Amino acid sequence: MSKFSAITGNGAIAEAMRQISPDVVAAFPITPSTQIIEDFAKFAADGKVDTELITVESEHSAMSACLGASVAGGRVMTATSANGLALMWEMLYVASGMRQPILVAVVNRALSAPINIHCDHNDSMGARDAGWIQIYAENNQEAYDNMLMAPVITEHADVRLPLMVCLDGFIISHSIETMQLEDDSKVKDFVGEHTAYHALLDTDNPSTWGSLDLHDYYIEHKKGQQVAMENVIPVVEEVSERFYQEFGRKYELFESYCLDDAERVVIAINSVAGELKEVIDEVRDAGEKVGLLKIRLFRPFPYAEIAAALKNCKIVTVLDRSTSMGAYGPLFVEICSALYDADPRPMLYSRTFGLGGRELLLNDIRDLFEESKRYLDEGKIEKRSYFLNVRGG
Amino acid sequence: MSDKYGLKDWQELPLGGVIPEGGNAADYETGTWRTWRPVWLKDGCIHCLTCWVFCPEGAYVLKDGKTPKGKDRKEIREINYYHCKGCGLCAKECPVNKKGKTEAIQFIREEI
Repeated sequence: MSKFSAITGNGAIAEAMRQISPDVVAAFPITPSTQIIEDFAKFAADGKVDTELITVESEHSAMSACLGASVAGGRVMTATSANGLALMWEMLYVASGMRQPILVAVVNRALSAPINIHCDHNDSMGARDAGWIQIYAENNQEAYDNMLMAPVITEHADVRLPLMVCLDGFIISHSIETMQLEDDSKVKDFVGEHTAYHALLDTDNPSTWGSLDLHDYYIEHKKGQQVAMENVIPVVEEVSERFYQEFGRKYELFESYCLDDAERVVIAINSVAGELKEVIDEVRDAGEKVGLLKIRLFRPFPYAEIAAALKNCKIVTVLDRSTSMGAYGPLFVEICSALYDADPRPMLYSRTFGLGGRELLLNDIRDLFEESKRYLDEGKIEKRSYFLNVRGG
Repeated sequence: MSDKYGLKDWQELPLGGVIPEGGNAADYETGTWRTWRPVWLKDGCIHCLTCWVFCPEGAYVLKDGKTPKGKDRKEIREINYYHCKGCGLCAKECPVNKKGKTEAIQFIREEI
């Protein structure tokens, strides 16, 4: 039975994993993603899933075990955060290069040092070039829904790539929200059976994985990976549409909130979108044309679709919750690329916020909209890029 | 389509670099790695097959034969130099060589 429940973001991810019941989960706990594996370990111990749960000694081993299990022919998942994801680094590239549809719930958290357990996006943004699909979620419901869609996307014959479902640490992972948990059997039907590709355990049809590939073939394999990534965009649209038909919640490549006629647009990722929507409603009530474009699919990045959605806007504020030290934030860079050919091209600037869990309050967002109004009126961007809410300015 | 060297286009490749068949090490010419060469000396060989057991490339080729008393056994026929990569394990492990009176496998510098 589909039911309306009060549950944390981590709890919702664990529920999705229970319903999908993957063949193997290999994991090592790290704050703030720990509860996912705690809950799932309980499901495994209680016999509610058919999963082989492997408790490993590090995240490098977790991803290695996931990779081995996936190549062996299983449907495989894990969860991690921050330094855990960083320790998986080497194996992330191996997983995508070997085209294994492994699924990771990344509960976004700041990377050390200084050590910090709270939310920002430096962990998953650092992995954006690793060849993994990245889907972001504003709240518990979206995180859960993305988990249900994830196996269908990753295992699609045109894709076969690993995927990260990203959600904000603590803000989402530890906050109880009411949300719709779908019926177990409907979820199973939606997700479908896993079909392996040249599984190592298919001993009647032996295969070799992970062999050497030099200058005569490496770039051809990488080209195949790039094309598979490009195929993700129509597949996400198709799977999201099927999800809508089945469960009634609509998802697109990105969410447009009051975007159609918006002159001043903010672009952001994950939970901050909730506060942005709140302020947008207020500012709209005062008659100002403001809107939000909330990123859902970050890899592959839907450049053309985002450019088309922004064709009427005059000024764009990009909110990055991560940094590339010495460069603009990763989201800002993508938005600039997307809009390079736009004619007329909107004014563009970047604000970095929320590193290590620093709050962005409603008043800060009101100030942001005041600022974009001033820039637009003056026709000039005073500061292209700076950190919000930093003492000392 | 493949190019003038017979190399395949990206669309023709199995995903993720998988080799979707077994036994294809037979197609791989590890013999090109060789800088030292084992030479099998028929007269010294006692056909204990130690070299065949140790050879990592399966380069020792067997044939059916008989013991001096007329019982069926497998015997060494030759070294397949397409696969022999010159590691020297066979010459090192050969019990005839170890005894030191005579040699069944010589290990010599490959002539370039």
